[in-house]
Amino acid sequence: MGESMEKQEWGFKENHELHAAAAFTIRHILQAIIENIDEPQTGKSVIHLGHGDPSAFPLFRTPTVVEDALIASIRSAHFNCYPPGVGIAPARSAVAKYLSRDLPNKLTTDDVFLTAGANHAIEIILTVLARPGANILFPRPNYPIYEARARFSPLEVRHYDLIPDKGWEVDLDGVKALANDKTVAIVLINPGNPCGNVFTFEHMKKIAETARQLGILVIADEVYAHQVFGEKPFIPMGVFGDIAPVVTLGSLSKRWVVPGWRFGWIAITDPIGILQQTGIVDSLTSCLAITADPPTVIQGAVPSIIENTSDSFFSNINKLLKEAADILYEGLKEIPLVACPHKPEGSMFAMVKLNIPGFDDVVDDTDFCMKLAKEESLIVFPGDAAGLKNWVRVSFAAEPEVLKDAIRRMKAFCLRHAKHY
Amino acid sequence: MENGSTKKKKWAFQGNPELNTASEITIRAVLAMLKTHLNQSDSRPVIPLGHGDPSSFSCFRTSPIAEDAIANALRSAKFTGYSPTVGVLPARRAVAEYLSQDLPNRISPDDVFLTVGCTQAIQTIITVLADSKANILLPKPGYPYYEAFAQSCHLEVRHFDLLPDKDWEVDLVAVEALADENTAAMVIINPGNPCGNVFTFQHLQKVAETARKLGILVIADEVYGHIAFGKNPFVPMGVFGSITPVITLGSISKRWIVPGWRLGWLIINDPNGVLKKHRIIECITQYLNISSDPPTFIQGAVPDILGKTKEDFFLKIINTIKEAANSCYEGIQDIPGVICPSEPEGSMFVMVKLDLSILENIKDDLDFCVKLAKEESIIILPGISVGLKNWLRLTFAIEPSSLEDGIKRIKAFCRRHSKKA
Repeated sequence: MGESMEKQEWGFKENHELHAAAAFTIRHILQAIIENIDEPQTGKSVIHLGHGDPSAFPLFRTPTVVEDALIASIRSAHFNCYPPGVGIAPARSAVAKYLSRDLPNKLTTDDVFLTAGANHAIEIILTVLARPGANILFPRPNYPIYEARARFSPLEVRHYDLIPDKGWEVDLDGVKALANDKTVAIVLINPGNPCGNVFTFEHMKKIAETARQLGILVIADEVYAHQVFGEKPFIPMGVFGDIAPVVTLGSLSKRWVVPGWRFGWIAITDPIGILQQTGIVDSLTSCLAITADPPTVIQGAVPSIIENTSDSFFSNINKLLKEAADILYEGLKEIPLVACPHKPEGSMFAMVKLNIPGFDDVVDDTDFCMKLAKEESLIVFPGDAAGLKNWVRVSFAAEPEVLKDAIRRMKAFCLRHAKHY
Repeated sequence: MENGSTKKKKWAFQGNPELNTASEITIRAVLAMLKTHLNQSDSRPVIPLGHGDPSSFSCFRTSPIAEDAIANALRSAKFTGYSPTVGVLPARRAVAEYLSQDLPNRISPDDVFLTVGCTQAIQTIITVLADSKANILLPKPGYPYYEAFAQSCHLEVRHFDLLPDKDWEVDLVAVEALADENTAAMVIINPGNPCGNVFTFQHLQKVAETARKLGILVIADEVYGHIAFGKNPFVPMGVFGSITPVITLGSISKRWIVPGWRLGWLIINDPNGVLKKHRIIECITQYLNISSDPPTFIQGAVPDILGKTKEDFFLKIINTIKEAANSCYEGIQDIPGVICPSEPEGSMFVMVKLDLSILENIKDDLDFCVKLAKEESIIILPGISVGLKNWLRLTFAIEPSSLEDGIKRIKAFCRRHSKKA
């Protein structure tokens, strides 16, 4: 090897696609904001309303039966083995029965695929659908992990609007205009993240019919299933599975308040078997065979968890969320320069619009979040990352006193930074 | 509703055949195929000699201290929420301390990334290195998950031989011939899967020096770390991290016999900071950012699992494996048509060669395994699935009495299929 030859020293290189993809993640964006916090300076404890994780609050603690089920699973020593890629049968069956309670066509064990959380479910379905030239329809605003994962695949992303003045309903004309013969699917999040809205039966039916017209499948992200507390009931998209095939993503994380557990599922509602015929089911199985699994010990506990958690736990959580949503919504009305056009009726979030021109020295939503974190130790999520610049996403999954404190701090901040004429 | 004059759109989505091909080469897929050949009317128990998971056998039950650790982490309610991308600090610190015991340079918690089993650690490094021009060097025979996942990432793989006549050492001459300017890394598995070998200090040093010369990093798969019971002690590749950058992959799955807990790690052994400079570390964090994590409470249990498990548990497991390895090796000596060139001294496997010249009506290793499943209800992995045709990979980590029974049945099979003199 002659010295005269210019040789690179090392053969490994960084993966630029990863740099681009990771910039979209909530964790990455929150990291930057959190680094701005200066607790000693402000003397205020941190209030984190940037993510949907109320597990730290005692009022939101998961019931003891859940922990008991896990411990029993561990002590049995029956679940220390590798799981099959699609998940162990008793857990798949328990999830199938659970979801079937609200569906006209009952799901079988084979319709359920277990994943390491809903984020993993997103990874799987996008990987299965991705091929060069294909495009997928995402809502704007969206849950940014979709963009992160799509960025990391050959899929082209097209955004349809959710209309703030119409309770964040889907702009169906927009959907039809965006789709072409390379469109493979449309993603819906219901109850909505980040908007906190809940779709009506009629609207969901129209979406299913539109999907059928376009020849695409519906990816129904129902991570916040049943977490509704307004006028509208929760309806699973699978109810319309005979109109267009529905791939539902869900997890234990939100309803059971165990976000760190990373146990989720993909459930297919496809009575006519289109997903089987088109090879989607085989691809789901294959993809799961070569990617991460939820621990077998958690899978082993799932039948017991689903069976033994009382309805009163769920209704209590919804009651807490309703109170919290009220506190937030009413509180925001008293704050200048921010507006919440649609009272949240589900999930754990509200989208709040900022009146940027009314601020003296706040240039956009990211600047708002950074300064708010620094001056008030209050964290909210910049809407730009979700697709709507100059909005912020605020979680209300917190105890009442904490929320009231957050409202006070935000009000003080807005007053302080308002233009003075 | 429009009538038949408007042609209904056909469905635009379809499955991904590449995923199907990738998943077919995994060990699980091969074992599943062999199981379909079992004779349902054979009343004898099936003897599983093809897997790497002894957790279902009582003599391999994990330490109660590990079980306690998880129960305590759960009940503490301190680990219910989302964890940081790289893992919770106490767990990373514990892994750093655990591994530093055997390394000249202490590793910092910042060098530790927690993953969903060693499987996700492999996914992480393959994805980070994958690029349209790059290639990596894999051992033959090896662990086919590397090939399967690399295929799904479009990362080119090239194979170097492990030499059966030299205790399965790496053919370093071949490594040098295979590498070019696009080679990013080479993988070694130590203790060895499938060969059951343990590399010497001197050999590992040569591997490091070769890698440095070629400008590539070494991926050291040490999932069977410390499971060494022969003449060569286990030497972690990280010892040579100052010669060339080393990325070590590991988990609690094998040493604690809990593959179903899905807790692994990816470690940076690179005191010269080469990987950081090339933004490889950043890429690792970014990949984990868009991927799932081990459940937070399992991470929370790691300090106690690593710190409190008693030495006598490890000794008991090692002795059980050692006795099984001896029993297996001794037993094979008496089996006509099967040759074991190298006594196993680590991991849970041994490679044995088929002497097809003395066997009748056996076409190759796959045929041998299919017929063995059918006639004797034994599952063994054909060597072709790990890269060596006409060899077999045998697991000895099962209940001793089952192993004895298994060896007897293989002997009967080979006798029955021996060419008549």
